[in-house]
Amino acid sequence: MYDDDMTLLAGAKELVSKGVYIRDVFSPFPIHGIDPVIGIKQTRLAICAFIYGLVGLALALAGMYYFMIVDWPMNVGGKPNNFFYQNLPAFVPISFEFTVLLAAHGMALTYFIRNWTLPGVTARNPYPETTNDRFVMEIHPSDFGMSVEDLTAELQKTGTILIEER
Amino acid sequence: MHQEAAIREPLILGEKTYGKITDDVLDSVVGKAGRSWWIAFGIAAVMAAWGIGCILYLLGTGIGTWGLNKTVGWAWDITNFVWWVGIGHAGTLISAVLLLFRQKWRMAINRSAEAMTIFAVMMAAVWPGIHMGRIWLAYFVFPLPNQFGSLWVNFNSPLLWDVFAISTYFSVSLVFWYIGLIPDFATIRDKVTQVVPKKVYSLLAFGWTGNAKAWNRFEEISLVLAGLATPLVFSVHSIVSMDFATSVIPGWHTTIFPPYFVSGAVFSGFAMVLTLLIIMRKVMHLEDYITIKHIEYMNIVIIVTGSIVGVAYLTELFISWYSGVEYEAYAFINRATGDYWWSYWAMMTCNVVSPQVFWFKKLRTSIGFTFFMSIIVNIGMWFERFVIIVTSLHRDYLPSSWTMFHPTFVDIGCFIGTIGIFFVLFLLFARFFPVLPLNELKTILKSSGEQYKKVGTTTAEEH
Amino acid sequence: MSNNKKYWKGVEELNDSPAFKEVKSKEFNEYLPAEDFLGDEGLLENSNTSRRDFLKYLGFGVTAASLAACEAPVNKVIPHVIKGDKTNPGVANYFATNYSDGFDYCDIVVKTREGRPIKIEGNKKSPLTNGAINSRVNSSVLSLYDEKRYRAPQIGGTPTSWSKFNGTVKKKLSDALANGGTVRILTNSITSPSTKKLVGEFVAANPNADIKHVSYDAVSASGMLEANKESFGIAALPTYDLSKAKSIVSIGADFMNSFPSSLELTSQYAKGRKPENGWMSKHFQFEASLSLSGSNADVRMPMKPSEYGKTVAAIYNYLNGNTSGVAPKVEMAAKHLMANKGESIVLCGSNDKNIQNVVVAINEMLGNYGSTININNASYQRQGMDAEVVNLVKELKGGSVDVLIVDGVNPVYSMPADVDFKGAMSKAKTSIVFASRPNETSAEAKMVGAANHYLESWNDANPVANHFSITQPSISPLFDTMQLQDCMISWMGMDGNYYDYIKATWSAVTFPMQSKTLLFEDFWNTTLEAGYFIGKSAEMVAASFTNNTSTALSAISKIKSSALEIEFYSKVGIGDGNQSHNPWLQELPDPISKITWDNYIAMNPAEAKEQGFAIEYGEQKDADTVNISINGVNFENVPVIAQPGQAPGTLSVALGYGQTIGKSDEVIGFNVYPALKGMVTYSTDVSMEAAGGNYQIATTQTHQTVMGRTSVVRETTLDVFKKGDKDAYNPAHILATHEGPMNVNDVDLWAAHPVATAGHHWGMSIDLNSCIGCGSCVTSCNSENNVPVVGKDEVRRSREMHWMRIDRYFSANAESVEERNYGEMESPEDNPQVVHQPMMCQHCNHAPCETVCPVAATTHSNEGLNQMTYNRCIGTRYCANNCPYKVRRFNWFNYMGYDKFADLNPSQDDLGRMVLNPDVTVRARGVMEKCSLCVQRIQTGKLDAKKESRPVMDGDIETACSSACPTNAITFGDYNDKSSRVLAASQNSRAYRVIEEVGTQSNIYYQTKVRNVESNIA
Repeated sequence: MYDDDMTLLAGAKELVSKGVYIRDVFSPFPIHGIDPVIGIKQTRLAICAFIYGLVGLALALAGMYYFMIVDWPMNVGGKPNNFFYQNLPAFVPISFEFTVLLAAHGMALTYFIRNWTLPGVTARNPYPETTNDRFVMEIHPSDFGMSVEDLTAELQKTGTILIEER
Repeated sequence: MHQEAAIREPLILGEKTYGKITDDVLDSVVGKAGRSWWIAFGIAAVMAAWGIGCILYLLGTGIGTWGLNKTVGWAWDITNFVWWVGIGHAGTLISAVLLLFRQKWRMAINRSAEAMTIFAVMMAAVWPGIHMGRIWLAYFVFPLPNQFGSLWVNFNSPLLWDVFAISTYFSVSLVFWYIGLIPDFATIRDKVTQVVPKKVYSLLAFGWTGNAKAWNRFEEISLVLAGLATPLVFSVHSIVSMDFATSVIPGWHTTIFPPYFVSGAVFSGFAMVLTLLIIMRKVMHLEDYITIKHIEYMNIVIIVTGSIVGVAYLTELFISWYSGVEYEAYAFINRATGDYWWSYWAMMTCNVVSPQVFWFKKLRTSIGFTFFMSIIVNIGMWFERFVIIVTSLHRDYLPSSWTMFHPTFVDIGCFIGTIGIFFVLFLLFARFFPVLPLNELKTILKSSGEQYKKVGTTTAEEH
Repeated sequence: MSNNKKYWKGVEELNDSPAFKEVKSKEFNEYLPAEDFLGDEGLLENSNTSRRDFLKYLGFGVTAASLAACEAPVNKVIPHVIKGDKTNPGVANYFATNYSDGFDYCDIVVKTREGRPIKIEGNKKSPLTNGAINSRVNSSVLSLYDEKRYRAPQIGGTPTSWSKFNGTVKKKLSDALANGGTVRILTNSITSPSTKKLVGEFVAANPNADIKHVSYDAVSASGMLEANKESFGIAALPTYDLSKAKSIVSIGADFMNSFPSSLELTSQYAKGRKPENGWMSKHFQFEASLSLSGSNADVRMPMKPSEYGKTVAAIYNYLNGNTSGVAPKVEMAAKHLMANKGESIVLCGSNDKNIQNVVVAINEMLGNYGSTININNASYQRQGMDAEVVNLVKELKGGSVDVLIVDGVNPVYSMPADVDFKGAMSKAKTSIVFASRPNETSAEAKMVGAANHYLESWNDANPVANHFSITQPSISPLFDTMQLQDCMISWMGMDGNYYDYIKATWSAVTFPMQSKTLLFEDFWNTTLEAGYFIGKSAEMVAASFTNNTSTALSAISKIKSSALEIEFYSKVGIGDGNQSHNPWLQELPDPISKITWDNYIAMNPAEAKEQGFAIEYGEQKDADTVNISINGVNFENVPVIAQPGQAPGTLSVALGYGQTIGKSDEVIGFNVYPALKGMVTYSTDVSMEAAGGNYQIATTQTHQTVMGRTSVVRETTLDVFKKGDKDAYNPAHILATHEGPMNVNDVDLWAAHPVATAGHHWGMSIDLNSCIGCGSCVTSCNSENNVPVVGKDEVRRSREMHWMRIDRYFSANAESVEERNYGEMESPEDNPQVVHQPMMCQHCNHAPCETVCPVAATTHSNEGLNQMTYNRCIGTRYCANNCPYKVRRFNWFNYMGYDKFADLNPSQDDLGRMVLNPDVTVRARGVMEKCSLCVQRIQTGKLDAKKESRPVMDGDIETACSSACPTNAITFGDYNDKSSRVLAASQNSRAYRVIEEVGTQSNIYYQTKVRNVESNIA
């Protein structure tokens, strides 16, 4: 456990160079630059969002084509509702809105599920302080065959304030 | 976390640590509510109650309880709708656009600004609802399958565009707002000791853990949502403006409306944010986080948008003459010199003339004056919508049907009501929610925190 | 020997096989299991269907069957005249009859549905009224369902039975008549031959008694009657033919509204106003208050009512060559009359016999008698002689009258204060008043006869010497009511009823006049069906014109003027006030002031300004009130209105108000009759001062001028029109585009939805030149389309629900848009020219309202109709906002249930609800509504055509407004029918579409108004 993000970051670099494998890091706010150090890949949420958006666009256009042109083309104020492309300008706003709608909500949903942050889920952070002002590394010596003593020694060097075994 | 020049003024004042930030913000949440909060809440609740009463009377008796007539089919209802939507815009703009521009000063205000957005859009949504003659059939506006098989909505109607725009805007900003709230809820969850609040907050926190991967995703989604929300902000008010721009009524039928409405929205939105923040920082002692700097920045935005609006007004006038269309020309002459001249000039003074005083740094940085101005601007923007809607309608093509609009107590009651409900919601938010984004503030503590700047340490960040 | 032949059943019997024997021994060839069924005890024991059960089932079966045969009991039965046989549910029946209340005469057709009269329209075949109808007549159907009607006769204010009532009357009469008593019958102008005959017989039956029948007109034409008596020896009105008159000069005669036989005159007038004919009548109007006729005049000169006589005299003198000191407009009129000898008409509204004598002299001098005026075919539509009435009152006051019978008039209400009929009536030993609803007179009566509505009565009429008509009921009396004639028959102890009596009269009087049919029954039935019969005009060769004009002229020269004079007039809606309880008429805007639900003192705007009175009225712009004394009668706190066109130094006020209306006991307006001293239509004894109060005014039009918007209203002058240069009087809208100038209809943002050229394409054409703004179409539309009555307060808030309105524009002090002098453009001229423009949904092909409806509740039919789907509407009002014509109406409240309208809207009680048209939805609260171009009539027309397997002919379908128009200004039809009148009208050189440049491509065309005056621009 650390009381400063910078110390943790430095320490993490130190340890990794020593071949320590850091399972995970818990912090009250994003520690910039920790991901590459402990080997976390960039998330692919953005790509999902893009796909959701495309789906939304397609749905909107298809829907309006069916409602206005195919299913029951009515004469509304003499608008050319016999032809999709002639009536297209009127469909632009809703197509856009629907794209955004699906993109945003689709992504949000994915985000919640992947993070497993959903109503009623219990938190898994080892110390409650990690959401306030403490920074914690989760290390399993067994992962890389280092004796607890050595590891503790290494950790001490990195200016940690507390080492706890569980 | 990038390096910041030491000459920049700090955004967080006083001796702060991560823990201190948490405590400062959570004082209100865990501690007791101050007297001032209760007073404010009481007033708001009374207003809300009156408004709800009027709305019930309206729904029970008929739209006739408003002052509308055969010629002026919309007046205060849609005026208030557009006004509230406009106010809503600032929140999203601050959190989304400024996030994209990496404006750190946003962090102190974006949480409450977003909250304001949510509540304002709620209030906006009230109006299209209750202005319907038969609100109990409101679901007709959604393209739902029905027993008539092929009976769908009319996608040519700007009003339907509104339905989609507003609902999208509302839900997206809600999600955006909540995702940002989750880690802070977690903080509260792990901080409070009482049983019930702990339960509640842990429920609200969705079991946030704050491990590195989660933070990684968190930053990603914030960025992308911001990217989505930004065009949304502009689209929503553009679409609202199309209610008027696509019609045939002189004074409505104007292509300049979309940009003009958007800037107007930002204008009024920032004004409302100022109103709220200036109260909040006082009531909740957040002077260290919401600094003069923030207020000055926002005042600058107000000058800019106010001037844009002013240009738009003048352009309208010019075009009405230049177009050579008799009706158009008369519509604007009537605005300035007709029966509603006072509303036009109220709009002009409040929106175009008065914001210009912010060119003086002294006024720009004076809290009291800013507060005063923020009220003025919102009055002005309300009148702008009133002028556009009522003075255009009350004298259109056929002089035989020209009338005046006179509000009834129900018109007024409903409006006051929405303001009341809005403040009730906002005060509850201020009381129980983290009004500042803890996690974001902590990220900028080192770069923009005052004591760090004093030491001049920029050593912390090398990579 | 006997024949003992033997016949075999078959070869089997012949050879008598054992098998055959075996079969023969049995009764049935096949084996029947009856035995082992009945034999088996167990089976019966176990079966649970006992004999009892069987009987139960049987009993139930029978009961059920008989029950099924019965119908559910009907709570409210509306009895039919002709029992059910002809009334099929959903199919309308039409009855030809007439409306004759002593003020209006009209041949009408009554539309009934399921036995209920729901609509009244003009009888198109009638040669007298030519299908013309006005608001008073077509609204009269609502009076039938008036909740306040007498349900039974009353003696001393307590309801009783007819047998008792008639018995009492009979006794009183016999008592009176036995000792030669006096009986007086006071009625409105009765044209019915049968009634007259009946009265005659009543008189004849009691030779020793003093019985007299007195006719009384609240709005008297006594002066004309007397003048004609002196001139021709006939106390009757002449019949006119305005359609032949090239020059029409009216001095204070509102011949389109209150003048006797106004409907005939109106329909004739329109025939002479067609510029396409190459000529147009020139109409001069000299009057104090801007009347309906005056608003349509080519040349109008405001003057004091006391100057009518002098004007008539001036014209007379001018025609006799004395041209000195004549006002220019009078001179213009006189010149024009001279130029059109024999083709002109001079009318005067004055009730002064001297003035009328001179008018007769003028017409005689111009040789109009025989060409445009016919005294031989006299009109009996006004018979009240003021002298007789005054004499009756004298008799009453003398207490010499034993029995006074009043029918069809309300003298206590409508007689001048100085006459004091109330007091006089109380002196009559017995006063019997026939009234259909309580009124001022019936309140004073000792006995009240609950009278029929005319739609419940048999009667006949002879409005003009050669025109006979049968009044037939279209529904049997709703309540326990009787008409005077039936009562008289029972009083006189005659047998049979009035119906038989009428038939007898007709077989005696009218049947001989014709030779077509031999059998009376045929004649009767054909007449009944047609509604009228043209007989010979009674033999009365006019005595040669003996008219002592000089004495008349000298009398006229003695007429005094005063600084302030007031003229009494009758409004288009309320008339003489005998229907002032009719909410449709109360809510009909006055054609000139557009004010509803009130009468008021009208004065010249300039003078009103001087005296500091409000001259604009609206929701929050109230009128000021004044205290005014007329002929010594004081009126406190009455509203004063600035009325452009009102002659300086004059006021005017409408008669017929001040009665309680509809279901409420609220008094609307104030009653001016008491000030109508000596039946003179004006007063010079007026004093007025501001009362300092405010008075709420409900007007449907708060802006008076057209702001120089030439694409809304187009008008020109005859000479310009004759030049034939369309661009001079009806220019097309040309837009400057990048492809050079283009017609506005060729410019479009998007590829338009094609307009169907196959099938129907309904449309309408309205001739502004024919429209006189009478508002007949408005009330007709209201009754056809179940338009709710919303009352004064809502009208004041500009929420009237009328689908059809008539926009009235005054010419302004400045008309040029270029000068942008908007202040001047908003203020009407002191003596303005007036345009009446009927305005309803324009059924645009590119309808702005349709595009903006989020739920597609208003869409375009492939027959060119802009249609509302009420049950889809959610009431956003966006369509109404986006309608450039502002013709959409929103249901602000639940007019059918909300208690604010309980006293106003007739359809809130189940009696008034009977007038509703079952073909038209009653709209719910919160939905938008508007003119549907009477789509229900279109459907009916199409169905009828289909049943007869023929295409819909032009003229088959008439909308409520087009059929009600007395001047045929409105033409409805099918643009895809190449032979239709509407198509022709739309291609006419005067045709234009209102604000066409907006690009709405409306389906309603208007024809430019042409005034018969010299233009300065030409």
